[in-house]
Amino acid sequence: MSSIFADISQSEALRRGRRMLPPVVRGLFWAAIGFFIVNTLVSEVLDRTPLAPYVTKVSVTFGWTAATCGWLLGVGAWELVVKPYFGSPVEWDVPNDWRRYFMMSLDHKVVGIQYMVTSVAGFFIAGLAAMLMRFELMQGNLWTFPTPNAYLSTVGIHGTIMMFSFGTVMLVGGFGNYLIPLMIGSNSSAFPRVSAISQWLLPVGIVTVALSPILGTWTTGWRGYAPLAEQDPNGIVFYYLGVFAMTTSSLLVSINLTATILFQRAKGLTWNRIPMYAWGILAASLLNIIWLPEIQMTFILALLNNIVPLPMFSQIGTPLTYMEVFWLFGHPEVYIVVVPAFALWQEILPVMGQKTLFARSWGVLGLVFVMMFSGLVWAHHMFTNMRNDQMLPFSFFTEMISIPTGFAFLVSLGTVWKSRLRLTTPTLLVFMSMFNFLIGGVTGVMLADPVINLQTHDTFFVVGHFHYTIIGAMVFSFMAAAYYWLPRFSGRMYNEFWGKVGAIWVFIAFNAVFGQFLLIGLRGMNRWVPVYPKYLQNMNFEISLFAFLLGLGFLFNLVYYIWVWRYGKRVDANPWSAKTLEWQSTSAPGETNFDPPVQVLMGFYDYSDERPVCKPTSPAEVS
Amino acid sequence: MIDLVVFTVLWVSVSLLFEWIFHTLVHYGVYYYTATTQAVDGEHAVAFILYVLAPVIAFVVLMLVYDLIRFRARKSDGVLRSRHQFRTNKLFIGIWVLISIGLNLLFFVHPSASALEQMFNSEQARLNRQDLEVDVVARQWQWFFSYPQYGIDDAQDANGNSILYLPVNRNIKFVLRSYDPFHTYAPYSGVIHGFWIPAFGLKQDIIPGETRYMYVHTSKVTSYNVNPMVRVQCTEVCGPGHPFMVAPVNVVSGNDFQQWVNQQKKMEGQ
Repeated sequence: MSSIFADISQSEALRRGRRMLPPVVRGLFWAAIGFFIVNTLVSEVLDRTPLAPYVTKVSVTFGWTAATCGWLLGVGAWELVVKPYFGSPVEWDVPNDWRRYFMMSLDHKVVGIQYMVTSVAGFFIAGLAAMLMRFELMQGNLWTFPTPNAYLSTVGIHGTIMMFSFGTVMLVGGFGNYLIPLMIGSNSSAFPRVSAISQWLLPVGIVTVALSPILGTWTTGWRGYAPLAEQDPNGIVFYYLGVFAMTTSSLLVSINLTATILFQRAKGLTWNRIPMYAWGILAASLLNIIWLPEIQMTFILALLNNIVPLPMFSQIGTPLTYMEVFWLFGHPEVYIVVVPAFALWQEILPVMGQKTLFARSWGVLGLVFVMMFSGLVWAHHMFTNMRNDQMLPFSFFTEMISIPTGFAFLVSLGTVWKSRLRLTTPTLLVFMSMFNFLIGGVTGVMLADPVINLQTHDTFFVVGHFHYTIIGAMVFSFMAAAYYWLPRFSGRMYNEFWGKVGAIWVFIAFNAVFGQFLLIGLRGMNRWVPVYPKYLQNMNFEISLFAFLLGLGFLFNLVYYIWVWRYGKRVDANPWSAKTLEWQSTSAPGETNFDPPVQVLMGFYDYSDERPVCKPTSPAEVS
Repeated sequence: MIDLVVFTVLWVSVSLLFEWIFHTLVHYGVYYYTATTQAVDGEHAVAFILYVLAPVIAFVVLMLVYDLIRFRARKSDGVLRSRHQFRTNKLFIGIWVLISIGLNLLFFVHPSASALEQMFNSEQARLNRQDLEVDVVARQWQWFFSYPQYGIDDAQDANGNSILYLPVNRNIKFVLRSYDPFHTYAPYSGVIHGFWIPAFGLKQDIIPGETRYMYVHTSKVTSYNVNPMVRVQCTEVCGPGHPFMVAPVNVVSGNDFQQWVNQQKKMEGQ
């Protein structure tokens, strides 16, 4: 830079020094270039087949990979990762306004908000798919969708996007990125570039799966069971690729958060004092680190199986292998979803009750043992197709996992007993979440019983059960957390009346829908059917009405939340009188969390102790 | 102390209420409609779990409601923190942990292991010499039922649709295979299907390349026309035709079954 710029700040100098497209636009542009070059190279040069279309399933795989790389480089990896790696100075100016959310950022709070917004977008895209499914199921014949394939693709899109872009992501990538560094008194996550990249992989995954029908329908649902997947048109390729992008995103963020919790804790934040939510995120992140590479390898095999093609999972291969390896990941996946939710109960209730967390060590034990047991239960998804001698061990471990799961209830109930419970929206949502998970747990004990499982497997009973655990526990806890931390995120407070209206609305509609799912499943409604016998129609019609009510309820909460974020009443820092560290800092995205760094003096959950939990360190004390 | 007493009294009453609700549910039939002894066994398992868990469910639900009402913060108090601050309660935790371990072990022994033992017994060859064998072949997207003991290759109704006829009070052995009988040379054509008759209370997946079995004991004369739960329904997604893999089932008396067999053989002989 020349000396003209000596008197203005470095970032402005950089901005004036070079001009570029807005990063998102540049990312799309580079993605398009990458796709066309590589797709053309593969389909027209390297793998040229007479009469084949321009986009084949082989070329689209490589084209997609190039497009994803182009996108990541375009939104900022070029300046933030690649060029610095080769020794150039970092020339990446993040403006201090809304534009920072549309480019790669190294601030964990910006990344957290990007994650939350992307993840919620995924939730509503997948929710729209669910609404379409419920619309179709209002009648026993095919009337909304042109073909059963269209319906089944919608089922798959719903499940895949919900699981991999919301269930696994919202509490880990979203709240985790924003809050974990704050909660452990750090100014940054351990590997900010890793989270920056992983966040921008998430929209790639969502868009890929949501647009999969442009390559062709796929009929397998979110599990992608082989050998059916081998017959499916090319849409299934986008399922594998989209899931690969989303799981990579979760894997990277988990590595980052694990390292952050292990190595970035403030002085005095010993293992004994790690916040409950950080424990939850640590457990879920370890699950991600163990199991996501496993499912990614499975999907790479399945993708090769499909595009080469290979006969690995067909009749002359072993069809069950795919199922085994899918569920080997698939069951830990639901604990990845729900363990952070348990941690949220134990985070929010002591604050709302202003009472010391009860039996904290049992709460931590519960989270960790659920994490460790989760790899021992997967084959209970396969009671209908396993050998008899495998049934009892898996039944045993599945029933036993309800013991550590129960510790979350033990801690939560013990904490609110004789507390001074403020009946706020987060409290209400946590209580609803506990009720829903109770139903999910009771139906889970039933499903762990092989004889009952053989009747209810693949019916709406199972669908009801896992929606109770996932929406019931995770989504309700997520909403509780969203309202709880809203003053921290936005500096504004929602109105208790409207917050509670939103909570009760969703609670009633949710139970009306999924309670009836349990019944209609027992009555003979099986999964993945747009067409069903006439006798189930009345009940399905009514379920659909409640489902629309549920969809509107979520939409209401979203609209209200955004409104409060912009126009809500301003509120002081730490309105809940919470003791955890994120409330001891008022840093907005783009600002430093703790300046000077803090030293933690005691645990965060002892409400009998009035002394401050932390103090600023003097510069000499920083080591 | 007063809280403990009030809560316990309420807990007992709510438990009784739940027991009554579950009893009504079980009385009505949790499986809605059952036509085999296996389905009745399954219903018993559900009922047992519900009865045992009723006090547990009552405890958690009541605790949530009681806490919300009894311990809610009132504005007039003027204090922020609860007066009761305790970190642990060894008795409560001890009881909780022991009961949750005890209940889970109980459920593993009964109904899981006990009901499964019955199921395994019903599958033992020595007990099944008199079984009626039905060969079930699933292809995309159609069921084929054949009765090797009676020489029926492909049971069909007058319209040429696959139909399953079973005698009442007999052990039935279903032999389950997934392949396309019209394209046996195509190894990619077989996919996983699920063989389920809702009223029979159990299902088995059908895996291409494997032969799997399912045993039932029919207990009631019934048919698809009596209750639509008496139907064969594919439960494992197998492509766009999946919802259409339905076949009606008729469970008939021994005489009626013999009559049907004769009629089928006459039809196949033509």
